[in-house]
Amino acid sequence: MSTSRDDFSIAIRSALLQRGAKQKFSLFVLILVSIFIFALDNAKLKPIETLRSFINDGIYRISAISSSPIKFSGATKDFFVKHIFVYKENEKLKYEIEELKNKNFETLYLRTENNKLQNILQLEKESPYKAVNAKVILDKNSPYLNSVIINKGTNSGIKLGMPVLSKGNLAGRIVEVNFISSRILLLNDLNSRIPVVVSPKGSQAILAGVGKKNPSLQYLPENFQLSDKENLVFTSGKDGVLFPGIPVGKAILNEDEILVKLLSDPDQIKFVSIALEQQADVGAR
Amino acid sequence: MAIILKGFREVLLRLGPLILLIYVCISEFHTQFYYWSIFSFNLQFIIIYYWILRDPDILGYGFIFLCGFMNDVVLSLPLGTSALSYLFVSLVAAYVRNATVRTSLFTDWFTFVIAIIIGNSIYFFLMNRFANVEITYVSLFYNSFFTFLTYPIFWGIFELYKRFIFARKT
Repeated sequence: MSTSRDDFSIAIRSALLQRGAKQKFSLFVLILVSIFIFALDNAKLKPIETLRSFINDGIYRISAISSSPIKFSGATKDFFVKHIFVYKENEKLKYEIEELKNKNFETLYLRTENNKLQNILQLEKESPYKAVNAKVILDKNSPYLNSVIINKGTNSGIKLGMPVLSKGNLAGRIVEVNFISSRILLLNDLNSRIPVVVSPKGSQAILAGVGKKNPSLQYLPENFQLSDKENLVFTSGKDGVLFPGIPVGKAILNEDEILVKLLSDPDQIKFVSIALEQQADVGAR
Repeated sequence: MAIILKGFREVLLRLGPLILLIYVCISEFHTQFYYWSIFSFNLQFIIIYYWILRDPDILGYGFIFLCGFMNDVVLSLPLGTSALSYLFVSLVAAYVRNATVRTSLFTDWFTFVIAIIIGNSIYFFLMNRFANVEITYVSLFYNSFFTFLTYPIFWGIFELYKRFIFARKT
């Protein structure tokens, strides 16, 4: 009995302290260093956070470069898949062109009329937000986290909590800011919680990521039922961080829970706009 | 020139597992399938466990620590989380190496369960206790389960690779 215990302690001690011919450090030392770094990082000290910010910027850049072969192979695959279906697509496009030609006359008329009316109302075609555009440089998903890295940081005026839009629809919010990079927490992440309002009734709810593609609506009023019309979901701005009225998605009933089909596909985000501030005068005009 | 080139090729071959580990940690390499999202496995655990157990001179503990560090930065986890879980997987592998004389796929495979449980428990404990990140038990369980299931496949690949390096050396 005591011999087997001795064997165990000898083997463990040897595993922890022994260094092989090419091992510079023992496991014991590295475990201690890891615990020390973990404690320092959790202490949230200002100098440590600044240092981490610089480390993040450096590693994100290296990571973006090292991911380029994966991106390239993905693009090559898409290219070949597209070419395989090119004949079928060509036939479909020809049909669509015919249809579009017919609609074109109608559109031209409507555009002219629209311009004329806008001139009358003196409306300017501008975004309701002062925004900064950014490119997604890294999209590393883990089974637990859904977030992406963009190539803009505090140098472009980005701050924590700012809403991130993809083609005008909410895609997520900023959860980490470095000097030249930032991290976006996507809406479908398990940790994402956004206060929203569901049209047409204007019911308040919380949009919660569940780790799957479509987030769910929680804390809806009792006996809430989806309307027969389109149930669009917008940000309510109740948290005081996100601006109200940003389109998020469409509410859909899935078995016994209400999910939201996002307007911005979390898997297809390549370019985003970060809304820095709302242009107050746009709504007033 | 030919000797230098041959030497370079040997070094590169020996660095293969380390390069793979760094690449998996730092790049967008996904071990999660889009169409079957529950299927995900921890390739880092497999690489570390196999090479520490079979040929520890190929994968240094210092590099494992650095890879964990880089993985934490890329996934925005508290620094040290992955490093600690990788180092404990290494500890189990080193212990098994010291305690056993002859190893086979089956002994490796079943002792790997202990490494996965310890590695993921440390990861889960640190994330749950110190980081403000929500983790589902189910996805962690699936990840552990599929890591265990895929081990023999990578064991076979790495075994072939090891024999290839050894054959060139001799």
